[in-house]
Amino acid sequence: MRRFLLIGALGLLIASTWLGLTIGAITPVQRNVLYVHVPNSVCALLSFVVLLVASIAYLATSKPLWDLIAAACAEVGVLLASILNGTGMIFSRAEWNTWWTPSPRLVSSAMLWFLYVVYLILRISLPGAPRQRARICAVFGIIAFLDVPMVYISARFIPADVHPPNFSFDTGWQTAALMLGMLGTALLAGALIWLRTDLLLRRQRLEEELLQE
Amino acid sequence: MKHGWLGFKAIVAKDIVVELRAKQVLPTMFVLGLLIVFILRLAAESMPTGAGMPIMGAAALWIAFLFSGMLMQERSFATEKEDGCMDGLLLAPLDAGTIYLAKLCANVVMLSIFEAAVVPLVLLSFGLSIDGRWLEFVAVLVLGNLGISSLGTLFSAAVQVSRSQGSLLSIVVLVVLMPMMTPALFALLVLFGALPEEVAGFGSLAFVGSFKAALGYMIAFDAVFSVACWLLFGVILQE
Repeated sequence: MRRFLLIGALGLLIASTWLGLTIGAITPVQRNVLYVHVPNSVCALLSFVVLLVASIAYLATSKPLWDLIAAACAEVGVLLASILNGTGMIFSRAEWNTWWTPSPRLVSSAMLWFLYVVYLILRISLPGAPRQRARICAVFGIIAFLDVPMVYISARFIPADVHPPNFSFDTGWQTAALMLGMLGTALLAGALIWLRTDLLLRRQRLEEELLQE
Repeated sequence: MKHGWLGFKAIVAKDIVVELRAKQVLPTMFVLGLLIVFILRLAAESMPTGAGMPIMGAAALWIAFLFSGMLMQERSFATEKEDGCMDGLLLAPLDAGTIYLAKLCANVVMLSIFEAAVVPLVLLSFGLSIDGRWLEFVAVLVLGNLGISSLGTLFSAAVQVSRSQGSLLSIVVLVVLMPMMTPALFALLVLFGALPEEVAGFGSLAFVGSFKAALGYMIAFDAVFSVACWLLFGVILQE
């Protein structure tokens, strides 16, 4: 099942890239990075939503699986957000001749990245009982998500928005390339979260077995 | 209800009296705050026209509050760890929310004592004037204080309960406080006369870019996070 998901995601991403570089190409050339940038931004936000749901579910049920799902979402979300910021910087350099500028959107996506990097640091640096760590991480997961709207609004106190709010695509092929990329990235993110959760679960079981011996 | 109020008063009074008698953290906070203000004052000197004074002054205020505040909040639950005070606190017939509110109140009071000493110093040394708008100035400082304290109190409990190092507290609190810092700086810069009351072309939402919007944002931030921390505090205390 997971194998099909991964293969499907790969196929969709290749199709999106091929479309984006041939009949769906946007001029000037640097704008083609949007086919990676936009799907990653949407999927990063989606992973953080799943992280929030998993954190609430953990506090409600105390099942360790939810904690592991939250951990996996944070890892995948940070990866996607890093790609988002990286491609954004490349685009910004080519389009506006600057790697980074404090415009509302760039500031808020940098803040989001920081929030979930701290979540990961919190996970690895809390010693002691795993249940306690899971509870504290769940609390931080909820607080961090409450920060997301705050981040978006606070960034409006910074002048000069260079980031275009939304792009309109000229042809159906361009929209198709973007949608394929969106779907492919979403599938990839889902499969990665699944894989990581499974791996974390196995590791936890192994640790428990080793402790019992 | 009556028990709750008595317990609340007892915890607040205990924390403040202990601090005033033992002077465990206030002197350290003052010295740290003074050092931050002094270093940033020296840095501001390198700008020839004095244009940097309001900016550096506002930055010095928030940086001093943030770091001295975290120094204090870290102690707030560290003292409870000694001699099993935490168990006593948990055994008291109080719900977790009341303990949180009492601790928060004590932390806000102590940070206010610190602010009362550091703010005049910053205004004098950076040569800033707020044009008689004392009420608004105090409102901005109190809102900032509440935001720093509400998150700091929650996470200092988390850090203490899990016996990890205090350095963790600073990144966890700073990262969540990050979005409050832009409006907080904005509000102070307006009061110091470095920015006009309303700045056109700020962002894309209609309500931002004015002093009132910054104040409203800080009120919303404080409300959201103090309620959330109050609700979530019980989860952290569970053994």
